Parts: sequence; structure tokens; C-alpha cells
Amino acid sequence: MSERVRQAQVGIVGGGPAGMAAASALAARGRSVVVLDEGQRAGGQIFRQLPPGVAPPAGVSEPPSHDHGHELIDAFEGAQVELVSGATVWDSKPGRLWFEHAGESHLLECERILLAPGAMDRCIPFPGWTLPGVTTAGALQVMVRGFGVKPGRRALVVGSGPLLLPTVTALLAAGVEVVAALEASSRWNALRALPGVIGNGARLREAMWYMKQLVRAGVKLRWGWTVLRCEGDRHVERAVIAKVDGQGRPRLGTERTIEVDVVGAGFGLVPAIELGLLLGCDSRHLAARGGHCLVVDEQQRTTIDGVFAAGEIGGIGGAEVASAEGALAAAAIDHSLGGPAVSEPLVKQARAERRASDAMLRAFAPLPGLYQLANDDTIVCRCEDVPLSEARAAAELHGRSSRAIKVGCRAGMGPCQARICGPSLQQLATADPACEMDVPVVRVPVKPVRASTIVNAPG
Amino acid sequence: MSDNRSSMGRFGSDEREAVTFSFDGQEIAARNGDTVAMALWAVGEATLRRSSREGRPRGVLCNMGICYECLVLVDGVAVRACTTVVRAGMKVERGGTPGE
Repeated sequence: MSERVRQAQVGIVGGGPAGMAAASALAARGRSVVVLDEGQRAGGQIFRQLPPGVAPPAGVSEPPSHDHGHELIDAFEGAQVELVSGATVWDSKPGRLWFEHAGESHLLECERILLAPGAMDRCIPFPGWTLPGVTTAGALQVMVRGFGVKPGRRALVVGSGPLLLPTVTALLAAGVEVVAALEASSRWNALRALPGVIGNGARLREAMWYMKQLVRAGVKLRWGWTVLRCEGDRHVERAVIAKVDGQGRPRLGTERTIEVDVVGAGFGLVPAIELGLLLGCDSRHLAARGGHCLVVDEQQRTTIDGVFAAGEIGGIGGAEVASAEGALAAAAIDHSLGGPAVSEPLVKQARAERRASDAMLRAFAPLPGLYQLANDDTIVCRCEDVPLSEARAAAELHGRSSRAIKVGCRAGMGPCQARICGPSLQQLATADPACEMDVPVVRVPVKPVRASTIVNAPG
Repeated sequence: MSDNRSSMGRFGSDEREAVTFSFDGQEIAARNGDTVAMALWAVGEATLRRSSREGRPRGVLCNMGICYECLVLVDGVAVRACTTVVRAGMKVERGGTPGE
């Protein structure tokens, strides 16, 4: 792309299920659409595609939900939509999205903005989590499904939530031995999700597919287990795992040591709401949906005029919620531009998907005991290298707010802008997992970009 | 000093063109379309920078551009290894403190 300022009726941030569904639907209604996506190809994190020329080994199958992913991608690629891959959006005002692309500074002027940036893995610090070879669960999926790279020989998958299963199957597809797959939530908690899953054919088929893959590979998903620490010299070499109680607190005497060379840890997902906050949109804290979520109404409108949001940004819900909300947002945006009224089935579909997802997430409610895994020396802010002891001292001396903790020990002041430490920093620093969570503080640039990008920003 | 680990690599079939770049002076064979982080992981290099205060090894955490743990220097500029696509002849060095 050459012009540094371009116009479209609708600017969409994110090329995952929500962004793709919305873009295709808007294009079908004759709207001009530009999608800004940070990845290399459409699909988002959930439907990552291998680059052209790379093929998985024969015999590797995909879960049933990926049929839906292929449909979304095919429709999106066949639509009259401009996709800008590798675009980092760093500032926004209603009607304007500033982004960096190939080292250049660009501006998209649009009548409507749709925020569909997705989510990221929730990190809960434990001793040894900074060792190379210890990554998020999502990182391993990207490695295998996005690049055809084999993460290691022997893996531990640990955390909580439905995304542990695709992480296990990705590793199996890459020929990695999954030594242990540990879900911190208890089997008892899992039963709470059962009615919601059984009542939803697609979700039941999906769960059955994963279970079949695990059984075939001889991998047992252990409920009520987690990691206590990872050890190694310059790379992870072993992990100590243990049973946890219903609150996620480790049970003494159940420790076991396993030899691993790669660890994927994912304690659920956190909605990526920064751009919405920057635009002035209201948020609310919904622990069951991953933390701070953007407030949207029954037509995916945020509290700021002309700004819509769909998918994980309004609360963790998965790909089915995201695509249903994307389609709904497209209809609402079209209507706001003079198109026909939003049809009731679209609203109902999005609501039904949310209900199904909320029901499933009941199995993976946040466990306060997991915040006891870190010890005094465990790094909580990886950018600024701040150990838990310093974060605790800062909270005691300066106060329990995220701002006070930040001022006291620099935690959250690095380039990730507290995206990694923020979702657990207050719980850890105050030693109170039930503490009230501050809304993240956002600043421009919302993602670090080159100084020249900011200086040369058009408009 | 290399942290090379032979258990990391690639799987499946790969017909992409080879691309060569340097990492701390060592020649690395990558594939067209790889990110710096994935090209290095595939040859067993997981340590991409040293932590700011204690100089401990750090590498890929999120692999999707969020965490900035994989900061390296590409031709002298600090960038995320996981979002930077390799180019032939690129000079990559282990990163230091983020924000420096």
C-alpha cells in the first residue's frame, strides 16, 4: 500500500473470526471496508494458516470447528475487502485509525470503526516461568499451526480453560510427546459446564473430537493439577507439578518432577480492550469472561458514537461468539450508515452463542490459589525485571492501586504496557486475589512503534 | 555461546525458498516467510535477549506481538523477533533491555 492516508466507510481492527465475518457481510452490502490486522495472514489466532508451501504431515486432522474457520476465511478472501496484514494500530479517535505498516506511518479515515482485536493468554507467574522454552499456550499453537515449527521433544501443557486442548493436539500434530496436560480446575467444576455443552451440538462434537485425539495419543488431561515451578540452566529442563484443591491451592505432598524441554502455560484469556479504552469506551469487569471487557449493547455498539466492538473484546467467548457478533455488528454498522434495520435472527444468534459460551466457561472460573505459585523472587513484571517481593513492598508503601504499585516498583512500565503483568499484578502485590481490579491505564502509542511513525503521522 | 537444542526443529513438508541471515555473527538458514523468532527456534536458539537487571536469558513468551520479551536488534534497531519477517542478509543480534 502506498498512499499514507486512505478512506473507507468502515475500518476494522483485527482479522480473526469477528473481523472476517463483519468484513464479508459489510462488503456484501456494498460497503467499502479496510481490515487492519497484525498477523501475516487472515484467520486470527484461532484459525491460523500455515504459509503457502508448508504442509502438515499426512494423517493430521482438524477439529470440526475449523470447517467454520475455512468457511469464514474463504468468504473473506472472496469478498471485496482490503486486508492490510502486518499493521499495528497505535492511536485512534472516532473515525480515525493510525497504524504502522512496513515501517511507515499511515492513517485510515473511516465513518465507522469496528474493534475486533481478540484476546491474549492470561499469564499467572510461577517460579521459572521466565526460562526460555516456557511460553504461553498460544505461543506453541502459533509455532505449530502458523509456522510448522516443532516446539521441542517433551512438552508440558498447563493452565486452565478450553484452549489447553488445541494446544495439546497442535503439539501432537508436530510430533511432540505431551508428557502431561494439566487443567487446574477440578473435575467437579467441569461438571458445571456439562449441561451447557451437552445442550449445544457443535460444542459437544468439538469436545468429543479433542477427547478422541487425546485418547488415541495416550495423553490424559489431568483435572485439578498445575505447575509449581520450572527449572533449568539456560532452558527449561524439568517441571515440578502438583495437585491443587478446589481453590487452586497446591496440595502438599503431591509433587512430581517431570523432564520436559518445552512448557505451554495458559490460564485462560484476557480481552484486548486497550484501543477501546483509548477511544473512551466504557468497560466493566467480568471475572468469568476474562476480566475487563468493553461494554456493548444488543447491536454491538460501544458507548462511543460510531465505534462498534465484536468478539473477545466484549468478554471471552470463542470463535463462534466472535463470528456471530461480527455478523451482527456488520448489520448494525450498515444500518447506522443508512442501510436496512438489523434483523432479529442475527441478534438472537449472537445471544445464543454468548449463552453457550458463558455456560462452558463456568467450568473454568478463576482460581485464587494460583496466585500463591509465585514466591518472593519470582519475576512478576518481565519487562522491568521486578520480583514479587518488590511489588509487595510497593503496594504496602504506596497503595493497592495499579498506578501506586507501578510508581513504587516500575512494574507495568515496560514496552508491553502491562499487558502481561497487569491482569495479575494487583492480586499478587496485595496478596488479595479478590481485590478490586483497576481499569488498565492506556497511553499513546497504545503499542510501541518507531518514533518516526509518531512524528510522521498523517493528519 | 550457543544454547542450541537439537530437539527443536520443523515438521511436515516445506517447499519454501531458503533465506539466510546472521544471528550474533552466526549464519542461520531460514525459510521465506519465517519470523526471526521462529527461524531461530527451528534451529534451537530460544534465548533472544538478556533481562534488564539480572541478565537472565529470555525468549519467546506470547509469539504474537504482545509481550515484547523477544526483542532483538535487526540491523541495529530493536524489534520484536516474533513479528519481524526474515530477509536475506539481515543482521540480527541478541537484544538487551526493552525500552533502551
